[in-house]
Amino acid sequence: MATKRWMLPDGMEEGLPPVSWQLERLRRRLLDHYHDAGYELILPPLVEHLDSLLTGSGGDLERQTFKFADPQGGRMLGIRADMTPQAARIAVRRFAESKVVRLCYLGTVLRTSPDSPGGPRSPRQVGCELFGEPELSGDLEVLRLMLRTLALAGMADVHLDLGHVSIYRAVIGRLNLETDDEAALFGILQRKSHPDLADFGRARGLNGVIETLGELMDLNGDVTVLQRARQTLVRGDAQIGAALDTLEAAAANLSKEFPNVPIHVDLAELRGLRYHTGLVFAAFVPGYGREIARGGRYDGVGREFGRALPATGFSADMNELLRLGSSE
Amino acid sequence: MTSLTLALSKGRILEDCLPMLDRLGLAPAGDIDRLLRVPSRDPNLHFLIIRPTDVPTYVEHGAADLGIVGKDVLMEHGGEALYEPMDLDIAKCRLSIAVVKGSPFDRPPGTPTTLRRRVRVATKYPEITRRFFAARGEQVEIIKLYGSMELAPLVGLADLIVDLVATGNTLKANGLVETEIICQVSSRVVVNKASMKMKHAALRDLLARLQTLRAAA
Repeated sequence: MATKRWMLPDGMEEGLPPVSWQLERLRRRLLDHYHDAGYELILPPLVEHLDSLLTGSGGDLERQTFKFADPQGGRMLGIRADMTPQAARIAVRRFAESKVVRLCYLGTVLRTSPDSPGGPRSPRQVGCELFGEPELSGDLEVLRLMLRTLALAGMADVHLDLGHVSIYRAVIGRLNLETDDEAALFGILQRKSHPDLADFGRARGLNGVIETLGELMDLNGDVTVLQRARQTLVRGDAQIGAALDTLEAAAANLSKEFPNVPIHVDLAELRGLRYHTGLVFAAFVPGYGREIARGGRYDGVGREFGRALPATGFSADMNELLRLGSSE
Repeated sequence: MTSLTLALSKGRILEDCLPMLDRLGLAPAGDIDRLLRVPSRDPNLHFLIIRPTDVPTYVEHGAADLGIVGKDVLMEHGGEALYEPMDLDIAKCRLSIAVVKGSPFDRPPGTPTTLRRRVRVATKYPEITRRFFAARGEQVEIIKLYGSMELAPLVGLADLIVDLVATGNTLKANGLVETEIICQVSSRVVVNKASMKMKHAALRDLLARLQTLRAAA
């Protein structure tokens, strides 16, 4: 194919003035803020052993990671597609003496395919991870940092979406499904497809549970959703009850602290289900069809590195923050 | 009041939608044959009139908050980037496999093959076709066409076709028979995920109104 040699591969981006300067100024503002909040800056390497890069991601990163064999020693290496597993490795191995570890990072990651068709494959990832803090106060700390990050990027009119993966897990746990069926249901819930759910239920003869999943799919909206969920969903399930308690407390705290940020609750939001374990969240801004920042709890991370830690964090793409914000 | 943009699929789906929208007081207030962006009688709703295959793309990128599009287009588009909360039960048809009547391929589904090459399938749905045959462990050669599928097996371009069938008259007229139905197709409402979170009340309201129409039908 006649690709001129000055053309870049699909999805690769370079930063040129004035955007490059704006990026740099935003980088300084963000890192100053994280530093003031007690977060340590880490600069992990671009390339690591593949198995280390894929740790704790539940396989989601496998497909997204560029891989190659190390000519010295023959082990498989990967170019990072996400810096979170690197932060987990560093928290476990390098901060072993600390009970609570706060890390922030900022760097380019590489993905084999863009998140949306035609999108970038080299996001400039920025994020914060909090390890060793199992309580709601940890989730709130990270949520606060995410909202401050968006404010520092000049983003007005931010909408926050809250969810909790335990609720879907509890409901699906009652079904005892085969792996294929579970994957099919996961897809149906992600698309909130009532027609496909009905077809699936008919085909498998699972009408009762399908009804519960249908209710779950409609449990989204403002915080009153949590009240509705207590009436319809709990039915004595302590796990679901506890998840709703967490969501209620989080929403109450956030609406007090950020009265201008509308809160939306979606109990069937399954983003990152494979590795998240608790409260999950995302931020949206008008005029952009996808989330601008996302995060959540992923307790148990670091087990493969020698110590399982409670963890929560958030990340965003600096390029998108700059494009959608009005920082200058 | 929140304003919403609804992407409509040009052609049969648009024709079937118009009476529904009219009953909700949401009929287009403009020349839908010429304009690509049309206001509705409700000042808070606008339409985009676009090619069916473009509807998922517009909605996914948030250029429209919601859209009405055939299940065939959605399946071909693939992925989980859109909510599809409702089936409108309009523009109904089916996606089927058809062959030349009496040809070696005119046999019950699943008959073991003695063919020493891959079966060639002509379709405008390469993704659905690939997935359907792959699920059976069958590797096929897919020939992407943009129209008049029926011609392909008649001139030896393909052994089978995968195409939409409404009445079956076109197949019959060209000496083809349907051997298998891949799935039933009708029109669905799709919603952008970010819009669902940021314009929740307005979208819920519109979806509920469409739902009442369905229930009444």
